[in-house]
Amino acid sequence: MDTLIQQLINGLTIGSFYALVALGYSMVYGVMKLINFAHGDLFTLGSYIGYTVLVVGASWVTATFGIWGGMAIALVAAMIGIGVAGLVMERIAYRPVYKAGRLPLVVSALGMSFVISQGIMAIWGPNPQAYLSGWTPKDFLQFGNIRVPVLQIAILVLALGLMALIYWLVERTTFGAAIRAAAQDRDTATLMGINFNLIIFFVFALGPALGGMAGVMQGLKYTRISFNMGWLYGLKAFTATILGGIGNIPGAMIGGLLLGVMEALFEGYVSGAWKDVFIFLILILVLIWRPTGLFGEKTAEKV
Amino acid sequence: MRKVFVSLFVAILSLMLLLTGCGGGTTTPTATPTTTPTIPPPPVEKIVIGLQAPITGDFSAEGQWAKQCVEVAQDLINKAGGVLGKQIEIVVVDDGSNAKDSATAAQKMISQGLKEVIASYGSSVTRPAADLYDKNKVVSVGYGCTAVSLTMETQRPYFFRTAGRDDTQSEFFAKFAVEKLGAKKIAIMHDNQDYGKGVADDAKKFLQPSIDAGTTEIVYFDAITKGQSDYSAAITKLKEIAPDLWFFTAYYNEAALLIKQAREMGFDVTFVGNNSVPTPDFEKVAGDAIKGTYMLNEPMPQFLTFPESKTFMDAYKAKYNELPGSIWAVYAADALNALCAAIKTAGTTDPDKVAATMRTMTDAKGITGPLMFTDRGDRKNIPYYAYLYNNDGKLELFWPK
Amino acid sequence: MADLTSKLTQRISKTQGQSPQRKFPRATGLVLLVAAIALLGAFPLLPFVNNYLIDVGFIVGIYALLGLSLNIVLGEVGLFDLGHMAFCAIGAYTTGILFHQLHLPIVILLPISAIVAGGFAYLVTSPVIHLRGDYLCIVTIGIGEIVRLVLQNNPGGLTNGPNGIGNIGNPDFGLFSIQSPTQFYYYIWIVIGLVIIGLINLQKSRVGRAWNYIREDEIAAKANGIDVRAFKLLAFVLGAAIAGIAGNIYASKYMFIEPNNFSFMESALLFCIVLLGGLGSIPGSLLGAAVIVIFPEIFRQFASYRLLFFGAALIVMMIFRPGGLWPRRREGLGFAGLGIRKLPRDENALLAEAPVPPRPGTVPLKTYRLPPVTVAMSEGLILETKAITLKFGGLVAVSNFDMSVVTGKITSLIGPNGAGKTTLFNVITGIYRPNKGKVVFQGRDITKLKPHTIIGAGIARTFQNIRLFPSLTCIENVMSGPHCHAKEGTWPAVFRTPAQAREERKIVELASYRLNQVGLWAFRNELAKNLPYGKQRLLELARALATSPSLLILDEPSSGLNDKETEDLMAMLQVFLGEGFTMLLIEHDMNVVMGISDWVTVMDMGSKIAEGPPREIYNNPLVIEAYLGKEED
Repeated sequence: MDTLIQQLINGLTIGSFYALVALGYSMVYGVMKLINFAHGDLFTLGSYIGYTVLVVGASWVTATFGIWGGMAIALVAAMIGIGVAGLVMERIAYRPVYKAGRLPLVVSALGMSFVISQGIMAIWGPNPQAYLSGWTPKDFLQFGNIRVPVLQIAILVLALGLMALIYWLVERTTFGAAIRAAAQDRDTATLMGINFNLIIFFVFALGPALGGMAGVMQGLKYTRISFNMGWLYGLKAFTATILGGIGNIPGAMIGGLLLGVMEALFEGYVSGAWKDVFIFLILILVLIWRPTGLFGEKTAEKV
Repeated sequence: MRKVFVSLFVAILSLMLLLTGCGGGTTTPTATPTTTPTIPPPPVEKIVIGLQAPITGDFSAEGQWAKQCVEVAQDLINKAGGVLGKQIEIVVVDDGSNAKDSATAAQKMISQGLKEVIASYGSSVTRPAADLYDKNKVVSVGYGCTAVSLTMETQRPYFFRTAGRDDTQSEFFAKFAVEKLGAKKIAIMHDNQDYGKGVADDAKKFLQPSIDAGTTEIVYFDAITKGQSDYSAAITKLKEIAPDLWFFTAYYNEAALLIKQAREMGFDVTFVGNNSVPTPDFEKVAGDAIKGTYMLNEPMPQFLTFPESKTFMDAYKAKYNELPGSIWAVYAADALNALCAAIKTAGTTDPDKVAATMRTMTDAKGITGPLMFTDRGDRKNIPYYAYLYNNDGKLELFWPK
Repeated sequence: MADLTSKLTQRISKTQGQSPQRKFPRATGLVLLVAAIALLGAFPLLPFVNNYLIDVGFIVGIYALLGLSLNIVLGEVGLFDLGHMAFCAIGAYTTGILFHQLHLPIVILLPISAIVAGGFAYLVTSPVIHLRGDYLCIVTIGIGEIVRLVLQNNPGGLTNGPNGIGNIGNPDFGLFSIQSPTQFYYYIWIVIGLVIIGLINLQKSRVGRAWNYIREDEIAAKANGIDVRAFKLLAFVLGAAIAGIAGNIYASKYMFIEPNNFSFMESALLFCIVLLGGLGSIPGSLLGAAVIVIFPEIFRQFASYRLLFFGAALIVMMIFRPGGLWPRRREGLGFAGLGIRKLPRDENALLAEAPVPPRPGTVPLKTYRLPPVTVAMSEGLILETKAITLKFGGLVAVSNFDMSVVTGKITSLIGPNGAGKTTLFNVITGIYRPNKGKVVFQGRDITKLKPHTIIGAGIARTFQNIRLFPSLTCIENVMSGPHCHAKEGTWPAVFRTPAQAREERKIVELASYRLNQVGLWAFRNELAKNLPYGKQRLLELARALATSPSLLILDEPSSGLNDKETEDLMAMLQVFLGEGFTMLLIEHDMNVVMGISDWVTVMDMGSKIAEGPPREIYNNPLVIEAYLGKEED
């Protein structure tokens, strides 16, 4: 029983990272119909920005503002930095290609993914970097046999909080309605007076910013960051997005959490080596059963 | 349609020509620029040796260390007057940490007319290159390739390696775990890649006698996925099984995360890492969690006591302000030393003679000890040690003293 | 719009009556082609070319072959396939495993690898082939990862896990065996040459066109009698088989394969090859492969930055040449671009020769197996719907609807917007399946048939919002019509059998006749998307007619047309009626309805509210109420 609870906590933690990254995928996809393959690499860039903030001046930030203050500053810096990076990316790699249709966009996104990950390698070097142990709290809570670090709880709370915020923003506000309208039909939304550029701005700043924050959290939690870690997170987050139904915000969150839990349980009770095979099989079975994901709307194409 | 194809072929051909131009210009080592109006330098005869290394890809850190180590060794040799009165020049070609690029990189070396090459890191990356070098009679010396099959499955007359073999390590592990630590319930974890799986399988094999005797059992044998950040699921499972000893047989990246997360979750099992684990990156990432863990390795850079080691480490430190990141990079430098020694003894760069000399030479001294090779190309007398990360987080020799 | 038309007409009148200009005369082109092939062939023999360059040439070849194979799936059919390397892996491992287990020679394993890879593709894609765009994309990524991981996990000790399979032999043709880089270079390029010949033949056949129809508009392809599922599967199987061949050659060249050879990154590179070259362009795939392989090789010296440059280059390329370096050109090639043998040089002569098509209903329906006649055909009725009900969620779109269409007459279905008229059409043509009720066509129950079978049985339709194949020429659009009655498949197309050539010629003749009949002959080699709106409607009509239907269903044929065009249309419909086509229209223009209909059915809120001759309907108070609302008082 303890093991099961522990595995569920493990799954939710990794799942909340997937979910945060998946949100960015889903938001960009919803509005632009673009699979942003560079999204995972923005996540990596976020963790490097956070790292740089914390490492500068021999951990000056942590020394001055305390452990929690330092972590908060790193998160905010990554959020802003990646938000800007997302906008720049949209401007140079996507906007000029947007008119050409969806396939060139995919190639441009793959190219962007190379540029970001290799750029990180050029700047920070090919060796992995580590968030130093002095930057994070060491406390933990002990429930019987289960030990949960305080940091993990904080990350889980923050991740779920961010998701709730995004959910509220997209589903409950006028601006959210505008985003959803633009996702449905760009032209009509524009005719209805929705400023599409503002929507793009929002989606390409906020989606990546969430990923950037997730990047810092992953650095804080797991210490190690490397220039090529984005691809695996990107793939898993994309899987989560599709599982939940692409373009569907709550779907992406639940997809991410579900994926994390499934991974933990399968690895814990069956086999680590076959884990990803199992995950992709589940994905395929879900899509056979529901062609637009678990929460995707069943759309009949207008004839 | 025809027009289309005509232009197509022209385009492909011009691309290829561009490639020739580019390749030719930078790869002919003796070519001196003729347009520069300076006094032509005296013709310096050089011995060119190739270094095929994973400059990009998964092993890029190792590749870049190897390059640095080889360059330091090259400087030392050249400062001492070179070999046969000639300076050594190194040509570096990237093999991208994968087998396909490795074959192309090897073909590139061969096409440049190199006769001696240092290649490469990673057994599956090295294998196709070693085949090509062998077929084209180019002496190649591996430095980070430890799979048993490389030398024991097929005999390659022109292939050598300065690193030891996986089975030496696995055998040592079985002895260490049973005799020294007295472990009864052993967990073996690998990463499902050729190297890690190979060591894990061999470890199982060498533990078999104790298992048959009923004194030891393997309670866990599974893989983790390389490249993840979160291994808590695997650790939770392991924790429930509660082994006495946990042997991890893959690379430092995953090892660091595993041990750190295990300790965070309050899992205090004895951890034994294999020879790819103890690196600066492992220490950096795992932080305090490394304390009390055992590492199996061939003599590590900081524990090398030969006079040549000191000279080399001093030179390296002077240039990079730290020790080489791994023993494998040092083996790459020793590959250069071995080749140079063989060339010196043979008095020629002729690959047949160099290969023959490599097998027979007894007096070549390397950074990691005497450089002697078996008939199949394996390094002779590679000792194994267990090291312990002490409470200061520093490695110390643990067994056998 | 008128301006555009006149420009188009001007441009066309210049080339009218002659085959379009070529930049090279035929003979010069031939000489240049031979010279180019000779140069490619002589490449390894050139003095400055060493084994390294020859190997690079070989790798270009491997990627070109893989690019060509993915081009079938991604380029021709437009299916996002980001896991194509899986098929190559299956081919390579088939070769490696069977070579060691059964000691079969590599040369014999070549076709076996192709068959196994193709069969594998059939098995894994048939359950998911209906998924759309991005969903299919993640599934192919998943398939790619599953294959790689399974190979890595070494099931049954077959794949040797992460260690890979080594000591694979070289191809041995008995008289000589392939070993040196030069030999492998020729080997791969000869294989590519053969594959290209087959692919060009396929591209310019009914099969290749069907693939393109699906890529351009899946629904319209279905509604023109194309078995979308079968042709998508065919593309996957064929693409996988060619990838399997590449896998076999790869394995025999490097003599060693491991799961990491077939990673996602490789699949992504193939994707880039096809898009860099241009979708559906065979020379484009070759050029894309050359760029993808040679570009990083040039930068091998600057290893640390080469992938950075590569990524930037991809972006720049997509910004400046989104269609690819070498997009497939269709317009301006004339009928020569259709690749049909022995067509007269003068296209007008073809039109003159084209026989008048047989009267509707007399086209033999060999190709489609229809259910036996189960319902007695009411006298003179070609189509009956019996108590059709269709619900979308809680919304009842069509409710208990009965209607009938009399053979040889024009029936109109009218009703206010949202009455469910188009939905009913979609039920009749099999795009939606009703919750209840039956559709009876010529005495047969067709309710459960797939759209393409229904089209084959003799119902053709047009769409309310025009659905053409925008990037294909007009003649190619109309050539989709006869598709459902043609039967020559893949192999006859690859080998260009005489029967296939005859059939292709019949198709182009019929299409020419129908295109001319709607007055668009002059636009035959223009892309459909360049036509003005009114002409697009006519083109759609021609395309529907070319399926040689017994019943023609037209969804608002006059919408968007001006008065003159509408008048012409009415006249044209009368001509078709004279030819024996039965017609069912949805129409809003009362002049059209009253002018040409023999019978009018009125629909509102999914139900039938009235039917009768036009005059009667015109004065029916229920109908007036449905259109104008109830008078208040």
